[in-house]
Amino acid sequence: MSLVAERAPYAGRSSVRQWWNNGNALPYLLLLPSAVVIGVVILIPFFEALQYSFTNSSLLEVGKFVGLDNYTKLLSSKDFWNAFRFSVIFALANVIGCYILGLGLALLMNMEMPFRGFFRVALLLPWIIPSVVSIVSWRWMVADHNAVFNQIIQLFGGRPIFFLSNNDWAQFIVVLIKIWRSFPFMMLSLLAALQGIDRSLYEAAALDGATKWKAFWHVTLPQIRDVSIVLCLLMTIWSVNDFDTPFLLTQGGPANSTENFVLLAYKYTFARNDLGTGAAISFVTLIILMVFIVIMLRRQREA
Amino acid sequence: MSLNSNTLAARWRLFAIMVVIVLVINFPIIVIVANSFQTTEQIMLNRSIIPQHFSFTNYEFLWGQTSFFRFLFNSVIVSGGSMICGVSAASMAGYALSRFKGPVLSIYSQALFVIQMFPIILALIPLFIVFRALELVNSPIPVIIIYTVVHLPFATWMAKAFFDTIPRELEEAAQVDGCSKFQAFLRIVLPLSGPGMAAVSIFSFLFSYNEFFVGSVFLRDESSMTVPIGMQMFMQQFATDWGSLMAAATLAVIPTFILFLMVQKYITYGAVAGGVKG
Repeated sequence: MSLVAERAPYAGRSSVRQWWNNGNALPYLLLLPSAVVIGVVILIPFFEALQYSFTNSSLLEVGKFVGLDNYTKLLSSKDFWNAFRFSVIFALANVIGCYILGLGLALLMNMEMPFRGFFRVALLLPWIIPSVVSIVSWRWMVADHNAVFNQIIQLFGGRPIFFLSNNDWAQFIVVLIKIWRSFPFMMLSLLAALQGIDRSLYEAAALDGATKWKAFWHVTLPQIRDVSIVLCLLMTIWSVNDFDTPFLLTQGGPANSTENFVLLAYKYTFARNDLGTGAAISFVTLIILMVFIVIMLRRQREA
Repeated sequence: MSLNSNTLAARWRLFAIMVVIVLVINFPIIVIVANSFQTTEQIMLNRSIIPQHFSFTNYEFLWGQTSFFRFLFNSVIVSGGSMICGVSAASMAGYALSRFKGPVLSIYSQALFVIQMFPIILALIPLFIVFRALELVNSPIPVIIIYTVVHLPFATWMAKAFFDTIPRELEEAAQVDGCSKFQAFLRIVLPLSGPGMAAVSIFSFLFSYNEFFVGSVFLRDESSMTVPIGMQMFMQQFATDWGSLMAAATLAVIPTFILFLMVQKYITYGAVAGGVKG
C-alpha cells in the first residue's frame, strides 16, 4: 500500500481524482485531526512565545521589541544561575536514583516468584497516583518535628530535622519524592528490556563458566544499554520540565533553594507579570536540553 | 536473568523480600489512607502510624462543608472530554501509522516524539492570553484541548501498537468484497480493537484526571477546579487540618486506582513499545 501516487503518463486532473478514488488520501485524512490540534496548541504558540521573548510584554498588553534584553538580563541574574544549579542537581540525582532503583527492582521482578503480577501493579502505585496526592502523603512524612520521619530518627536516638525549612534538606526531599514518583516507569521499561534478552546468551555464558555476576556484567548490561540511554535521556527531559514536585512541596523555597527553570518561568510570567523574561527562560531551557541531547546521542553513536 | 532452576524455597524467600519492598515503597500512601479514618485531633494526638480510632468525620466534612465533590464532577467532565477527543484523534493517527508508510508519516511520527519532550509552559503563555481574550479561563474547554494534545503522542503509540496486532488480511478481504479503505477501518478494524481502544481511553482519562500544572493555570475559580487543583487549594487553606487532607487524598486516588487496575496490563505494552522504541 504505497503512498506514492501512480502517475499516469497523461498526468492531470483525472489522475488526482483517481489517486483520491483509490483511497490514497486516507492516511492523510486520518492524520488531519491530530495535526490540526498539534498545530494550534503547540506550533503556533511556540512561535508566538518566541516573539514574546524579544519584547517587554505583560499578561495585559503586548510590549515593545527590546531585542536580546530579556536574555542578557536573565543570564546576568542570580535567580537564573540558582535555578540552573538546582535543575542540574535535580535532573542528575533523579536519573541516577531512578536508574539504580529501577534496574534493581526490574532484576528482582524478572525472577520467578509467587504473585509476581500483583507486585508489578503495587510497585507502579507511586507513578500513577495524582502528584498532589503524593505530595500530601510526603508532607505528612516530613512536615514537622513530630512527623513520621522524625519519629523514626528519634527512635534511633537522632535529633529531629526540619526538612522543609532547611535548604539542603528541602532539596534532598524534593529529589527523593521525584525519584519515588518516577522510578516505576524506569522499572517497567527495563523489565520489558530484560525480558526481551535472548535466553541462549545466558546459556552460552553458563557454558563458558561465567558466574551470575559476570553474566550480568557481560550479557545483561550490554543488552539493555541502548534502552537505558534512551530512558535516561527521557528522564532527564521530564525532570527538567517537572513543575509539580517542587511547586507543590515547597513552592521553590526555602530561599529559592528548590526553584528550577519551570518554576522560575512560572514566577516571572504569572507572579511578576514579566512575560518576555518568562518566555526567554523557557527558550534557554529548551536550548540547553537540545544541546545536551544532541551531544549525548552523538557520543552514543560514536561509542 | 530469569532462571527456572530456582527452588521453591528460594521463590518464597524472594516473595517475602518483595512484600517488604512493596510495603516500604508504598508506606506514605498506606499511612495517609489508614489515618484518613481518624479525626484531626486524634491524628495529631497519637502521631502513630497505625490508627487507633475509626470515624468518617473527615469524609462527612468533605461532603458537607467543601466543594470536593464539585471538583470530582469537574474532573469527570474534563477527563471525559479530553478522553473522547484524544481517543478519536489517536485511533485515526495510530491506524495511519500502523498501515501506511511515507515521508509525511515518518515526519509525523518524529514530531510526536518532539512533542513528548516539549516544555508545555512555552505554549501555555500564549494560549493563556488567547483563551483569556475569548473569556474561556475557568472553562473546561481550553483544558480539554491542551490535555488532548499533551497526551496524544503516548495515546497514538498505544493505538498503533494495537492495530499492529490485527492482521491486514481482514481489511484486504473486506476490500475485495467492495469496502473502501475507510469502511474497512471503520467496520472491520475498529470493532476488533475494542479492548485496545478501551485501554487507550482509560490511559487518556487517567492522564487528565491526574494533571495539575495546566489545570492550575486555567482553572482559577473554585467552581471550575478539578480534583488536583482543588486539593492544592485545600493544602493552603487547611494546611493543619490533616484529617480532611488525608481523606481528600484517599478519595482522589480511588478512581485512579480502579481504572489503573483495569488497564495495567496494556500500559506496560504501550509504554515500552511506543515510548522507548519511538
